[in-house]
Amino acid sequence: MAVRDIILYPDPILKTVCAAVPHIDAASDALVQDLLDTMIDSGHSVGVAAPQIGVSSRVVVVDVSGSKLGRNNNHGQLVLINPEILERQGSETMREGCMSVPDYTGNVIRATEIVLQFLDRAGTERVIKASGFEAVAIQHEIDHLDGILFLDRVSSLKTDVFRRK
Amino acid sequence: MTHFALTIIGRDRPGIVSQVTEILYRIGCNIADSTCTILGGQFAMILILSHPEYHDREGFGEAFAPLEETGLSVFLRTLKPGGEIHCIDRGEICMISVYGADKPGIVYRVAKELGDRRVNITDLNTKLVGSAARPVYVMMIEAVLPEGTTVEEIDGMIGALREELQVDISVRSITPVEL
Repeated sequence: MAVRDIILYPDPILKTVCAAVPHIDAASDALVQDLLDTMIDSGHSVGVAAPQIGVSSRVVVVDVSGSKLGRNNNHGQLVLINPEILERQGSETMREGCMSVPDYTGNVIRATEIVLQFLDRAGTERVIKASGFEAVAIQHEIDHLDGILFLDRVSSLKTDVFRRK
Repeated sequence: MTHFALTIIGRDRPGIVSQVTEILYRIGCNIADSTCTILGGQFAMILILSHPEYHDREGFGEAFAPLEETGLSVFLRTLKPGGEIHCIDRGEICMISVYGADKPGIVYRVAKELGDRRVNITDLNTKLVGSAARPVYVMMIEAVLPEGTTVEEIDGMIGALREELQVDISVRSITPVEL
């Protein structure tokens, strides 16, 4: 399989709603492997979505186990095919960046806990509860499948404490 | 290409940005980095510009005169070559919140502690909040720590200021996560 180049904005694929994976087969498996290879090769990435390697398909991989923020609370390497967030709870702000939008970061509010339904690499239906940094990473990657970039979710330019009610 | 820093400030009202950017557009300027915000009742703009043909302030001639005529103050500075390039610091990024009863010297004392330790302040804003009778001073600092310095060390270092200034100070890492 292969390490693929990360597609950079303004490539229109990053603003496209991706198609569901119709069935688990050799092609979907090859895509998963390329996503994993690309994520691992970057050395610092905690997640890659299929459109970031040029494939408009609802597949993401996430692994926060090697990161300082996620190492104590994670499900290890996750392959999420046709993922859907069933529930969201809590909110926290995190300064996010994205490999597809280099040199820019912004504060994004995300749910702190999510319940997630997806097919794993073998096509098995799964439901997990993710929290903390892992939940943030999953939400960021799933946004890619809907053509949403973190730039669409930047919460404030000024510190929130300055906002008058 | 020569770059310039343009600073504009004046009483806030709708239309300042369009007035300024129309002039820049018409004379062929390119806006690279910019920040615009309200400070008190004033609207302040700081822009880094480039122009394919202008090499000094004289090139702009009287282009900004209409802004001065509507009560805006305009200052234009020519940058030295490379002055438009942001040198990326490699250290950890942190946010420092300082807040407490208003008193003189809060900004200076905190900034001095940071400066003495080579902490690079990249963004700072302050605001007076609360009631006139009991004003509360709020300062938010974003800073890059020198490589090898941790957020915990900075927290410990400026801890003495909590006592000295009778303010609350919290330091936390906000190093961006690339997802």
